[in-house]
Amino acid sequence: MFGAVSTYEWLLFAHVTGAFCLLGGAVAAAVFNVAALRRERPSEIALLLSLTRSAVVAVIAGSFLTLVFGLWLVHEASYGYGDGWIVAAIVLWVIGSAAGEAGGRRDARTRELAERLAAEGDAPSAELAARQRDPLSLALSYGSGAAMLAILVLMVWKPGA
Amino acid sequence: MSALAFVRPNGWDLPLFVHLIGAFALVGGVFATIVLAVGARRRTQHAALLSRLALRTLLAVVAPAFVVMRVGAQWILSKEKFAENSDWVGVGFAVSDIGALVVIALAALAWRASRRTHAGDLRPTSGAIVVGLASFYLAALAVAWWAMTTKPGS
Repeated sequence: MFGAVSTYEWLLFAHVTGAFCLLGGAVAAAVFNVAALRRERPSEIALLLSLTRSAVVAVIAGSFLTLVFGLWLVHEASYGYGDGWIVAAIVLWVIGSAAGEAGGRRDARTRELAERLAAEGDAPSAELAARQRDPLSLALSYGSGAAMLAILVLMVWKPGA
Repeated sequence: MSALAFVRPNGWDLPLFVHLIGAFALVGGVFATIVLAVGARRRTQHAALLSRLALRTLLAVVAPAFVVMRVGAQWILSKEKFAENSDWVGVGFAVSDIGALVVIALAALAWRASRRTHAGDLRPTSGAIVVGLASFYLAALAVAWWAMTTKPGS
C-alpha cells in the first residue's frame, strides 16, 4: 500500500510537526488569553492564564523542532542558508521568539497578581483589568503570532527560490 | 527526495496556505478543548466555566477551522489531479470525513457536559468522553499530517 519514505520527507514531517506544535500552541494560548480578558473575577483570570502554560510548552517545543529540522531541510534539499526567504524566516523566528518570551513574562506577572487578588477576596480589580489590557503585553504576544504567520507565508511561497 | 517538493506550481501556494491555516487552527482548537475539558474535571470549583469554554472553543474555533482546512484541501486537490487516487490523499480524506462527525459529536457532548456542570454534576461522563474523543481526534490529525507531508506511496 505505502511506498518507502525518503529522508527528506521524514525531515519535512518533523519540521511540520514542529509547526503544528508552535502554531497550534499559539492558537490555544490565544483562546485562553481571550477567555481571560472577558472575565472579571481574579480567580477565574488566574485559572485561565495558568492554562496557557500547557500551550507555552507546545510553543517552545515547536519553536525548536521547526528551527532544527528546518535548517536540516535546507541542507537536505540543497537550498542555500543565505537564500533571502530562509534568512528572513530565521530573522522572523528570532524576533517572534523574543517577543513571545517577553510577552509571556508579562503575562506571568499578571497571573501572579490575579492569584494574589483571588486569595485576598477575589473582588474585581481595575489594576488587574488594566494589566490584562496593557498594550505592550498584547503587542508582544500578538506580534509574536504575526511573526510566526509571516514565516508560514515564506515557507509556502518561498519567494526567490 | 521528492521532486514535488521543489517544483510545486505557484498556483498551488494560496490553496496550500488556506489548507494549512485551517489545519493549524484546527489542531490548536482541539488542543485547547482538551486542556479546558481536563481542567473542568480537575478543578471542579470552576467546572461550569471551563465546560462552557470548551463548548465555545469547539463552536468558535474548531468548527470554522475544520471548514477552512477542508475547503483548502478540496481546492488544492482540484489543482493536483494526479494525486486524487493516492493512498496519502485517502488517509487525509478519511481523517477529514470522519473528523466532521467527530467535531459534531464533540460539540454535542461538550454541550451536554456544560449543562450537567451547571446543574451541579461537576464531573459528568460526557466531559470525560470529550477528553477521550478529542485526544483520539488529535492523534488522528497527527496521522493525517504525517500522510500529507511524507506522501507514502506517491
